[in-house]
Amino acid sequence: MFDVLKQQDVYTCRHKNSVSECEIFLHQTMVKAVVGEEARLTSAEDRLSRSAIPAEVGLVIGKLSSVLDRGFVFDLIPTPSNDAGEPACSVLETRDDKKKPSKSKSQSSESSSLSIDSDWVAEHARQVSRMLLGGVKVVGIYVWASDSAFKNSTMILCQAIKAVSDAIRHLDPALDEALLIHICYSPRRWNCRTCLLNSSITSSSLRPCDFKLGRVLSSLQRFKCNYSFNFRLPIYSKGESSRQTFTEILRQELAVHEKELKSANAMIDGYLVHNDEPCNTEGEHEIELLFPFMKDIRAEATKNVTGILHFGGSIHSYAYLNVKEPVSQAVTDIKADITRSLQSRLDIICDEAEQDLNPTDVGDDEELRY
Amino acid sequence: MAPPSCETATVRVLCPKLLLSSGNQPGALQWLIGSPFFPPFTVVSTFRCIHQSPDLDQESDDLRKLLPKGFEVIGGLIVGDSDAEKSALEAVRATRRLRKSISEGGELDDEKIVGASVDAGTGAIHFFISKTEKLAKLEPVASVVYEEDKSGKYLWENGCLLHCELPIKLPFYFPASSPSESKKMFSEAVDAVITQFKEPNVVYIAETLKKASGDVPKPVVLRGKDFGFGADASNINRLPAAEDQVSDIISCSHLCLNSKPAALVNSAENADKIQISLMLNRSEKSPTSGAPVAEYFPAMEEARVIVVDLNLDVLTYAPKELPLMHAVSNLVIPALVDQLYSLKKIILPHLLMEHPQLRIYHFNPPGVLHPITTIYELNYGETEMKQVDVRKSLHMRLGLPLDRPLLRTANALDLSVNDDSRSNTKKRGSIQLKDVHIGIPSSGVSEDVASVIQGSYEYYHYLQDSFDDSGWGCAYRSLQTIISWFRLQHYTSISVPSHREIQQTLVEIGDKDPSFVGSREWIGAIELSFVLDKLLGVSCKIMNFRSGSELPEKCRELALHFETQGTPIMIGGGVLAYTLLGVDYDEGSGDCAFLILDPHYTGGEDHKKIVNGGWCGWKKAIDSKGKSFFLHNKFYNLLLPQRPNMV
Repeated sequence: MFDVLKQQDVYTCRHKNSVSECEIFLHQTMVKAVVGEEARLTSAEDRLSRSAIPAEVGLVIGKLSSVLDRGFVFDLIPTPSNDAGEPACSVLETRDDKKKPSKSKSQSSESSSLSIDSDWVAEHARQVSRMLLGGVKVVGIYVWASDSAFKNSTMILCQAIKAVSDAIRHLDPALDEALLIHICYSPRRWNCRTCLLNSSITSSSLRPCDFKLGRVLSSLQRFKCNYSFNFRLPIYSKGESSRQTFTEILRQELAVHEKELKSANAMIDGYLVHNDEPCNTEGEHEIELLFPFMKDIRAEATKNVTGILHFGGSIHSYAYLNVKEPVSQAVTDIKADITRSLQSRLDIICDEAEQDLNPTDVGDDEELRY
Repeated sequence: MAPPSCETATVRVLCPKLLLSSGNQPGALQWLIGSPFFPPFTVVSTFRCIHQSPDLDQESDDLRKLLPKGFEVIGGLIVGDSDAEKSALEAVRATRRLRKSISEGGELDDEKIVGASVDAGTGAIHFFISKTEKLAKLEPVASVVYEEDKSGKYLWENGCLLHCELPIKLPFYFPASSPSESKKMFSEAVDAVITQFKEPNVVYIAETLKKASGDVPKPVVLRGKDFGFGADASNINRLPAAEDQVSDIISCSHLCLNSKPAALVNSAENADKIQISLMLNRSEKSPTSGAPVAEYFPAMEEARVIVVDLNLDVLTYAPKELPLMHAVSNLVIPALVDQLYSLKKIILPHLLMEHPQLRIYHFNPPGVLHPITTIYELNYGETEMKQVDVRKSLHMRLGLPLDRPLLRTANALDLSVNDDSRSNTKKRGSIQLKDVHIGIPSSGVSEDVASVIQGSYEYYHYLQDSFDDSGWGCAYRSLQTIISWFRLQHYTSISVPSHREIQQTLVEIGDKDPSFVGSREWIGAIELSFVLDKLLGVSCKIMNFRSGSELPEKCRELALHFETQGTPIMIGGGVLAYTLLGVDYDEGSGDCAFLILDPHYTGGEDHKKIVNGGWCGWKKAIDSKGKSFFLHNKFYNLLLPQRPNMV
């Protein structure tokens, strides 16, 4: 009877037979509680408190499960100084002359705020996320700062989150929330907020969220998958389709491949993924991906062909799953990992090739091995 | 298990009708169908031989497409003269030639063949066994058992169906300058597909088709590398030898329902079905694995690419105790290969033009105990002449009547994976109950000799569809019921017309004035015949009675109608119209009853209420109180729709 449409985070409900609509604003399924890996996070905290730096910003590595409404933090990676040697984050003291200077110099003043090099942090995130395995992602940023500096820097932090999420979105298009972790040095405490990723991020996008430390890494299950593929793409004559470069064709192929992967069936440890239960057996699990027999078609009928692009090889992929998550998540993560791996490899090779050579057109029999 | 010696050989005939031709033309040949999985000389069905050429090429082509694997030609029946053995020998020879042709020069086939001869004069059938090809002498068969097995109980208690659908998009390339090479390239591409069926990275997934309630067994995964293809091209006729038995081998019965609810008869419709899916396992360890590489190979001259759609769909029969792996490798894969070659043969002449739209359908035709498979070319629809001829030929071959559509796509078996709930389910929009006469109490006249309607209909009555036609619409409702019968038997696809549409039709043909539309005027048998003719092209017979008392005398004629035509009859008399669904009469006593479906019912679609209220039931011509059902002082007209002669 009712059609429900979701656009961004607004749900619209329309009765099939009537013209009127009503809008229902539904609270996005947001992560409600976050668990951080105790060992890694306390050691990070120790390092920070011993270093006595006034502020630090970095990446939060972990996973957010919308199914469980929980977030898991595996580790924190500080963003290094940029090429000019400047730190990614520093404290700005804005003196208010009307106020008396505070008595204790070691404490920062009430009106300090943070300055963050968002672009640099975003670039850090882009490079790191390329290297992460299936199921493990950059899920947000953390900042080590005083309470007052943090409170005064909401806009800057939102900008940083936005920059980071934009930088990694191409590897994870479904990204809709991120974590903002504040490690406060006086009083010493951890504070976590979730941030809704809209077109504009403001302080109202931040929501508080439960945070505690616990054992996260040891309870992860590892899934691995060998994936071999072999495609023959016809390359059409120049007259019939627009001229395309080798890399353009490959990127298109990767997009087609990603779609194909998404609809593939999976077997876990030799059994078809039947019902979506969590995997309760120990040890490493093997995922096998199954595809329709001969329905993958990359050829369009009756066109003139000047050659064949042969694209094939093997990829070993890994994914990590929390014990309570359903196994379908591992399958999704493996598929995403394979896609990301291929995309990243292509990116890296193209980056290098574009530095060395002029762009090549199809027709040159140049072999790119990657 | 050593086969019984021929002296004690018994021929078991399971098919309901052995002799297809009533004409007894000498030389008419029928093939006898059996199965390697049944005891020898068990005749499951019989097909007419249509193309009597010496090499039987066309015949073997047709039979290879038609007969599911798991069944095979085991003999021949020929109409001959009084020298039964000589005629039977002809049948045997023809059978051996056909088997050679079907298997395309397989191993030297020296199986025992059944030969039968019908004496054109007396009609007596004599059976013989041919032990081996070399011996011209035939052994007469002493004992022939005819089993009344209308539904194929034997087949479906002991066996199941494996269904495999494989849509393939096959690209192939050929030089643009020499299109004649396209045929060779296509053939090579097809051969490559066949090789692919047996690669180690292929996975066959077997699952139950009927997701009925209760525990459904998990799908079984069979990996190509476990099959050991190429090791021993086992003859399909041999069950696995004792040494092949592995302790934990899975048989087909694993995926069959262990016990059927009592109501379900074992028949082809209710048979256990196993769905086989082919998939490619891209995670299977390949000997050549390396980092992903993209390499461009330019063509030496410009080439063209053609993509051919091959939608394979095979059905095979396997005994329940057969290991699943054997069923797949010895039945399903050869079936896919054969069908692939059949499709290739059809497409080859049209390779560079518009490809024929080939669709595979499976049917359970009445009178045939097992399903059959057809390949239809549907570029121009079903009513195109070539397709009509194809169906006529199939009807001839299977011994089906030529006056009713039984092999239309709408008759095809539905092998999709879903719940087995049918009939009387409320589809969106359609609320009519079907076949309300089934299960009603008997007429009380005689046992088991009632002649009733053949096929399905929908019950239309007053006030349905929120349309108030109470008091005047009974004949319209009866007409709607009749048209629904023609729809359900696939003679037409027009939707059942409303009262207004019926009235508009009568105005269009000039029988009524335009003011008729929207009125509440009655119509009678004549008007019904006009509408049936105009909307459906159906012709009718009309029986007139000056008095209702004359009806019971015509019981025999009405019974004959139900036995031959089997269509619902409209009875119009006085101010009432009824639909007649059957008659039951006793020759001796003259007692008779009429199965009446009353359109005057104004209640809801409640089957119990309808039956208990007598709205559908047997009405005796003269009831126990002496009262007549049909009024003596009224005229009665009966409308008897005739089946159009079409397939």
